[in-house]
Amino acid sequence: MKKIKEIVNKNSFATTVYPILFGVLIVVLWQTQILHKILGADTFTLPMPSRIFDIILANTDSIWTNVVATLIVAIGGLIVGSALGFMLGVLATFAPKWGAGGLTVIAAFNAIPIIAIAPIANNLTKDLSDNPEIRSMIAKMIVVTLTCMVPMSINVNRGMTELKPFSLDLMKSYAAENRTVFFKLRLPNSVPYIFTALRVSVPVCVISALVSEYFAEFIIGVGRQIRENIVLAQYATAWAYITVACAIGIILYIILLIAEGITLKGRK
Amino acid sequence: MNIAAGTKLEPEIIIDDLTVVFPSNNGGDPIKALKNINLEIGQGEFISLVGPSGCGKTTLLRTIADLQNPTTGSISIRGLTPKQIRMEKKFGIVFQSPVLYDWRTVRRNVCMPMEIKGLPKKHRTARVTEMLEMVGLYKFGKQYPHELSGGMQQRVGIARALAIDPEILLMDEPFSALDEFTKEKLHEDLLNIWRQTKKTIVFVTHNIQEAVFLSDRVVVLSPHPGRVSAVIDVNIPRPRALSIKRSAEFNALVAEVRSSFEGV
Amino acid sequence: MQRIKKFFTSKQMVTVVWVLGIMVLWEIGAFIVAGTKRSPENVLPHLYQIVQSVFSTKLVNGSQTAFQIVLSNAGLTLFRAGIGFLIGAGIGFLLALLMNLVMPIEKIVFPYLMVIQMIPILGMAPIILAITKDINKSRIVIAAILTFYPVATNTLAGFKSVEKEKHELMHSIAATKYEIYTKLLIPSSIPYLFTGLKISAPMAITASILVDTLQGGGGLGCMLSQSLKHAMTIYVFWQIVFFSAIVGILSYYLMSLIEKAVSPYKRIHK
Repeated sequence: MKKIKEIVNKNSFATTVYPILFGVLIVVLWQTQILHKILGADTFTLPMPSRIFDIILANTDSIWTNVVATLIVAIGGLIVGSALGFMLGVLATFAPKWGAGGLTVIAAFNAIPIIAIAPIANNLTKDLSDNPEIRSMIAKMIVVTLTCMVPMSINVNRGMTELKPFSLDLMKSYAAENRTVFFKLRLPNSVPYIFTALRVSVPVCVISALVSEYFAEFIIGVGRQIRENIVLAQYATAWAYITVACAIGIILYIILLIAEGITLKGRK
Repeated sequence: MNIAAGTKLEPEIIIDDLTVVFPSNNGGDPIKALKNINLEIGQGEFISLVGPSGCGKTTLLRTIADLQNPTTGSISIRGLTPKQIRMEKKFGIVFQSPVLYDWRTVRRNVCMPMEIKGLPKKHRTARVTEMLEMVGLYKFGKQYPHELSGGMQQRVGIARALAIDPEILLMDEPFSALDEFTKEKLHEDLLNIWRQTKKTIVFVTHNIQEAVFLSDRVVVLSPHPGRVSAVIDVNIPRPRALSIKRSAEFNALVAEVRSSFEGV
Repeated sequence: MQRIKKFFTSKQMVTVVWVLGIMVLWEIGAFIVAGTKRSPENVLPHLYQIVQSVFSTKLVNGSQTAFQIVLSNAGLTLFRAGIGFLIGAGIGFLLALLMNLVMPIEKIVFPYLMVIQMIPILGMAPIILAITKDINKSRIVIAAILTFYPVATNTLAGFKSVEKEKHELMHSIAATKYEIYTKLLIPSSIPYLFTGLKISAPMAITASILVDTLQGGGGLGCMLSQSLKHAMTIYVFWQIVFFSAIVGILSYYLMSLIEKAVSPYKRIHK
């Protein structure tokens, strides 16, 4: 009995402690500049962790402004794109064959580089507003919307159609209306699929927000700051923004996982 | 119980006071899967292990195959340990699912254990043909598993198990996923193969009729803890035709097996 | 009659109709833009104008036509993307193998694989350029990073998904570890490996184009930026948009084709 408990403990010990030790090792190698020797980098382009941390602390205000700008674009685009994708996925269930065909065409859009979409979005939104900040934001959001729409539409369509065997027959045996079938069967069935889509689109919304910032007219956002600071050869500041970008990605993903855990509690 | 029938064969597998205990996974008491099992299985014998789920019949088979270690007690096969027999590649195993490799053709699936055994290629090719002819699938050699029906896939599994000419054929509910008609056909085929190859067969099933129809002896296991509650000799003469299932003798044996279950 | 009916209801037909539908939408948009904007070709040109520019023989930078510019720069970009992709796929596969072979490596690496998935690698492109100081190297490095983790996670999932019975079968005939890997685990993981490759092939191309935009010195992304800044005709931009979209999609289908070639058995599709 005790032995078993020890094994379990040992196992979870290994799952958490090994990776943490590895992370600490990397930071130590980095701080002691051994990492620089391995990578052939200098402390100018690859500043020490302590320095990056200092910069983040010293520039909280301007970093926060840029984080907010990026988050508005990323989350705004994620919401609009997911909503549109959801509607497309539902629409496609009404005409299974044509709908599924349309979704495969849309899925092919996933292979289009973001870099090709971003400038088009910029041009499209040129006359929307006199304020470059607003029209840039809309342009960036269009890019994020497009990239987030695809996984949602495909997964929602699967969730609406990949029902448990005989569940549709069961509904039919109660003479359920289409509306009832949708709300009592298809919609609940698609919830796990929505999360599958979000697991793809949450990281993607951050990446496309950052990349679309590169091309935006108005200079703001975490991604743009990475690039601008490198152009100015302020590598330490650029690293500070990279750290922030990674933190955004990780935090959004963790929020998603928590939401998923709560929503899908009790499901397999 | 007819002890004489059990002892006339040379014992091949001797199970001596075998106990297998699994640690429980949620902090409760450990589970006694098998308790003090004693059993001798003769050379060339067809023996069935029957019982409800949880009675340890699969665990017993897996322990013979060295897929599971005994907690106490021992198994000896021809005076060797199961591990030694396994290392000599003398086991043939057939599972409930066919477990075929979907990237290999039927021929190459049957060939696989011989590759592991390191047999020369010429020998392998001849042997694959021989095995496929035996299970009646020679024409399907070039096809891939998913192109075959469930019954055919299971036959490929049997051909693969026999390909390395094992001493002992271990079968874990091999026909339980098949429909009744396919099952009956495979019963006849298996008995024919057994007559030709003279292998010792240990056959696990929860289907009493199947066990009685196929076996020389039926070992009835009961759960909590898994133990032998009866060993019943089946003295129906061979070769057996499907029609014997209607005979009074057959049905009496089925009833005897059923009445031997305890604690279910 | 029957055959015609079959064609019109076939899967390909559905795709064709959808593509035509999108083209019609584009053209409607282009007409609206042409009526309202001063320089419509910057916003949404007609499709025929883009096609025309592909076949135009007019030299746009003194020595090359627009399409020649696209092709000559595409070679540079795609070649680096390809090298990065191959390196990344190789590292990803080996890492999955190591993780499956050595438990502590899996424990250490797996959480970081998950983290890499969450962080925006493309956003780090400029700093990788700053560290490597070479645009070609950074193209390869970024394409490799983007390729390596989908390949590693998917291949590892492939190793893990092999049924217990298949392991037991190998065990029962005393197969060696080497035989278990070459005859069971690696062949089983091939479909999963290709799932990873299909995800990462378009990503490697995107990455390579993005790195181009960071510096002069050629490549599709560089030409795209220059064209947007009106250093050359805007149709170079439009051609690159379509070219990269087509190449991205083709890279996906190329992976499917290779997959079919290396796995002659038809997998059962759900």
